[in-house]
Amino acid sequence: MTIDQAYSYLFFVALIVFGILMAVTLIRCIIGPSINDRILSINMIGTMVVCSIAILSGLLDESWLLDVALVYVMISFLAVIILASVYIREGRRKAAASDKETAGKKEEESV
Amino acid sequence: MTSFEKWFYGETDVLNHAMDEAREPDSPDHARKERVKARLAEIRETEQYRERVENSRKEFRGLYLAVTAVGAIALIGVLLYVTACLPEYGAENPHTLEVITRYIEKGLEETGAVNIVSGIILDYRAFDTLGESHVLFTALICSMLLLRLDRKNMRSDHEDYYTVRTDKFFDLSADQIFRRVGAFLVPSIFIFGIYVVLNGQVSPGGGFSGGAILGAGLILFSASFGFEKVDRIFTRKVSSIITLCSLGFYSFAKGYVFFTGANGIENHIPKGTPGNILSGGMILPLDIAVGLVVGCTMFGFYSLFRRGSIGGNGAATGKSSK
Amino acid sequence: MTAEWIRFWIIAVILILGLIAFILAVIGVNRFSFVMNRMHSAGVGDSLGLMIVIIAMIIFSGSVMTALKLALLVVFMWFTAPTATHFLSQIEFYTNKQLEDHVRMKKTLESGETAPAPEDAESRGREDGD
Repeated sequence: MTIDQAYSYLFFVALIVFGILMAVTLIRCIIGPSINDRILSINMIGTMVVCSIAILSGLLDESWLLDVALVYVMISFLAVIILASVYIREGRRKAAASDKETAGKKEEESV
Repeated sequence: MTSFEKWFYGETDVLNHAMDEAREPDSPDHARKERVKARLAEIRETEQYRERVENSRKEFRGLYLAVTAVGAIALIGVLLYVTACLPEYGAENPHTLEVITRYIEKGLEETGAVNIVSGIILDYRAFDTLGESHVLFTALICSMLLLRLDRKNMRSDHEDYYTVRTDKFFDLSADQIFRRVGAFLVPSIFIFGIYVVLNGQVSPGGGFSGGAILGAGLILFSASFGFEKVDRIFTRKVSSIITLCSLGFYSFAKGYVFFTGANGIENHIPKGTPGNILSGGMILPLDIAVGLVVGCTMFGFYSLFRRGSIGGNGAATGKSSK
Repeated sequence: MTAEWIRFWIIAVILILGLIAFILAVIGVNRFSFVMNRMHSAGVGDSLGLMIVIIAMIIFSGSVMTALKLALLVVFMWFTAPTATHFLSQIEFYTNKQLEDHVRMKKTLESGETAPAPEDAESRGREDGD
């Protein structure tokens, strides 16, 4: 077989493997009991998509797909950060409120 | 402490409510307004008034539902009928025979853009893009109408009053790791966004995607450094000026091109050689205009949802921050 | 074997190594029992797997510009993935009530010690010359 056919087969196999891995990670996203599991698996799916785009740009010989990959890295990072900030804020606020409650109860008991 | 030091460190206020006329308790207007308010509050307490309000609300609700249902069904019917009148997918019609072949064959020489998609949306069909930019701007205005917090909806028993005021306590920008990473990433994202906007006609990109990247960069900036730093450069006035100038420039430039094109006059806009950055006639300036509008809109949406105002802290706290 | 085929086999081996790294990462994410452990193996995928695959594509690419863009992609990813993991661990710290069952912590949280003191945020804000 020629070199180009060999490269095509190699990249096709790599893309199929990435597809299967993405599906398996999606299962973890559905099962995962806490919010942290889900955000983590979405982050991983994003990384695998970036790898797939890089391989695809080699397969199709189009160099502008790498710009798309850069944008994707940025957007997935931003999504994870902003989601995480929402949950961290809620967690801190609840912890501070519950601590105020327990401090208030202790004062009541001591008084 | 001298009186100057007292003022300097914020312990006395020289303009002690002198500029705030609504707090003057002994102007005649103020007394009259207070009397009217008291009377209205009295009337609103009575049973009769409340019954009347309830009845009119029930009637209006019925009428509103009926009109909404009829209007929605009419709109659905009209759209379905129009869709049924379109030619079949793949059949021969002027769109597939003439228009598409002309775009593809003569797109490069007539618009001067190597990227045919940019040539279509900013040269052949620039009127649609004009409408799109105005739709973005309108969406931003509607979001501001619905979400903006100002003195009228910040009553003191409103829950978000205290949330917004003490939000700094739980802020992510106190994280040292995030600040260092942000110091590297934000300029890179801005440069990348500008690159994508400027190369609209040479490689895939253009105004919309570049504007989205610029908006994402601003969001990252505000998340990693805190909102005070962003408010120094991106206030509501800056956002308004940017969107106004961009949309105005787009309208005037495209208006000129439409006028000369429709009347057959020569518009002296150079096309340049395809593949350069300065090519494609008006595509580059229009790309920049669209990119700026989209960037402002993206950051405006995020800021409105997050804290209820685009620049500054709104009127959530009566004084400046802290 | 000509030079072309040697290059092909080098790229194939490196690409398959990268795929193995990703497969191990995904197996780890699914099989571990606690979130912090899953974050470890996800980090393997983010850093090591991406680097190896992109190295293979750098060797494959023809022009300098493409290779530079791929290298920029790797650098970008290496800056952002650990920060994301840092924030995910913070979520776990602040929202999981049964954290002490899984993790050995140096000091247990007493009342009033939940969040880092707000003075940090404000004093840093004042120092920055506002």
